[in-house]
Amino acid sequence: MDATSPDKIIVEGFQHFFETADGPVQATGLIDLKIPAAEFVTLVGPSGCGKTTLLKAIAGFITPTRGRIVCDGKTVTGPGRDRGVVFQELAILPWRTVRRNIGHGLEIAGVPKAERERTVARLVALTGLKGFEDRYPHELSGGMRQRVAVARTWAADPDIILMDEPFAAVDAMTRLTLQEELASLTFSTRKTVFFITHSVDEAVFLADRVLVMSKRPGRIKASIEVPRRKAGGRDWESFTTDPEMQAICEQVLRLVRDERMDGAARPGETPDPLKEAS
Amino acid sequence: MSDAKPVRTDTLTWKLLPALPFVALIAGWSIYWLIARPPVGTLPPAWAVTEALWQLAADGELLQNTLASLGRLLLGTTVGVVTGVVGGFLVGLNRRAADFLNPLVVFFNAISGIVWLPLMIGWLGIGTALVVFLIWNTVFFLVFQNTVLGVRLVPPVLEQSVETLGGSRLHIILNVTLPGALPYILSGIRSGLGFGWRALIAAELVGATVGLGQMIFRAAEFHRADIIIAGCLVIGLLGVLMDRYLLAPIEKHTIERWGLVTPSRGI
Ligand SMILES: Nc1ncnc2c1ncn2[C@@H]1O[C@H](COP(=O)(O)OP(=O)(O)OP(=O)(O)O)[C@@H](O)[C@H]1O
Ligand SMILES: [Mg+2]
Repeated sequence: MDATSPDKIIVEGFQHFFETADGPVQATGLIDLKIPAAEFVTLVGPSGCGKTTLLKAIAGFITPTRGRIVCDGKTVTGPGRDRGVVFQELAILPWRTVRRNIGHGLEIAGVPKAERERTVARLVALTGLKGFEDRYPHELSGGMRQRVAVARTWAADPDIILMDEPFAAVDAMTRLTLQEELASLTFSTRKTVFFITHSVDEAVFLADRVLVMSKRPGRIKASIEVPRRKAGGRDWESFTTDPEMQAICEQVLRLVRDERMDGAARPGETPDPLKEAS
Repeated sequence: MSDAKPVRTDTLTWKLLPALPFVALIAGWSIYWLIARPPVGTLPPAWAVTEALWQLAADGELLQNTLASLGRLLLGTTVGVVTGVVGGFLVGLNRRAADFLNPLVVFFNAISGIVWLPLMIGWLGIGTALVVFLIWNTVFFLVFQNTVLGVRLVPPVLEQSVETLGGSRLHIILNVTLPGALPYILSGIRSGLGFGWRALIAAELVGATVGLGQMIFRAAEFHRADIIIAGCLVIGLLGVLMDRYLLAPIEKHTIERWGLVTPSRGI
């Protein structure tokens, strides 16, 4: 692997099977993917097609059955602080206040308290959590908890941000703000982002490139470039009135709707992986 | 939290209500005694027990025995909790340690308790070591098994999320696994303390010269049922006090504060 490659994340011949009591379950089809540094990639696809599986493999929590993942020229063998993750399920610590959850990554990195507090204050304001800094997660609403999770990942300032439907539980108004902030923040800091969502609008709004997955076992069936974001990121007003953007949304929507929903995996109906790969 | 609690639970009536069954018990006992007049050596009246209690307290015997028992209980429980939590973490976190240690734990759990006494008298002699061993032997298994369960029930995603923040294994164990397992650990300690009392009194019957168990044992030789019941009262009362002023506050400031359990109504 060439370390000077412009690709921040490379997924090579990836395929994953889960071992279950009833035998292996194929979670994803064959996936090859390259994400250049500073690109914002969003991923849409039917439920159960393997989106989370792919994200967790990039994060280092799943060892691929086949193929490999390369980040920054190094094969991924486990999680690391270069890859921040906002999980699909809620993953903030119930025994830490909002403040201490958001500052957790900085605390681990040994950032002095004063500086930590500054970063936390900035993110608290950004995610609309002002006044709740000293509350425990069980005292917050579901959407607020999810915002804490997002803020915690942003505060740790990783190079790569992996987000699994981070705004699903956030109210519509806050979601718009968070999306705009995410777009401009990641653009100005040149973050590489891999973002899973079920919302086509969100996928197109945020992305440099939208990936559409087929139903389980999912492959990447389409990759749609979205014209470069302008320096200040995007805002929803201009997005909804831009015919070019709306055309892309329609295109993605059509691709997604072609994929019939096919809930959970059924063991025992695993296709021959060799045939699948050819 | 506090604003969600119904106001009623804070009123004096509700605070005193739990005493009602005790009052009923004493009343029933007194009435029965007045009607049936059993021999005092078998069942003394409540006022005789009160008098015995007063006398024991007055000549300092009660304090001496209580302190001796409490000291052993705390020592045995502390050793039991520490070894139980450490062992529980080892087994809960490590498949291999679990495979290796589990049969051993199940084996010795089956022969726990008073079964050890004849052997241990020979090995440890009669004294504090023997009593502390018997308490440890009770507390350890309860704390151990609860800790293993608690460690296994911490959602992996919590540990994973801190891994992505760069947290080391030790950091995660201390900051995620330990607080996450705390409800179970505390539950183990609570049962451990309860059964620890039982082990303590049983052990003191043979393994000590002072202590509440010893006091009761000696009273039995002289058919002093009033002292026996007085001893039971003190033991039960200490159990309630320890739960209320030792365990409950810890729970209130940790697992209840974090919303891991709903606040208990207290006793
Ligand atoms: N730990 C597991 N053991 C067995 N099967 C699993 C496991 N995790 C996921 N699967 C299966 O693998 C498939 C892909 O799961 P994955 O979570 O990646 O889907 P997803 O695309 O993220 O779905 P959603 O949009 O609903 O979150 C699913 O069919 C699921 O049933
Ligand atoms: Mg998912």
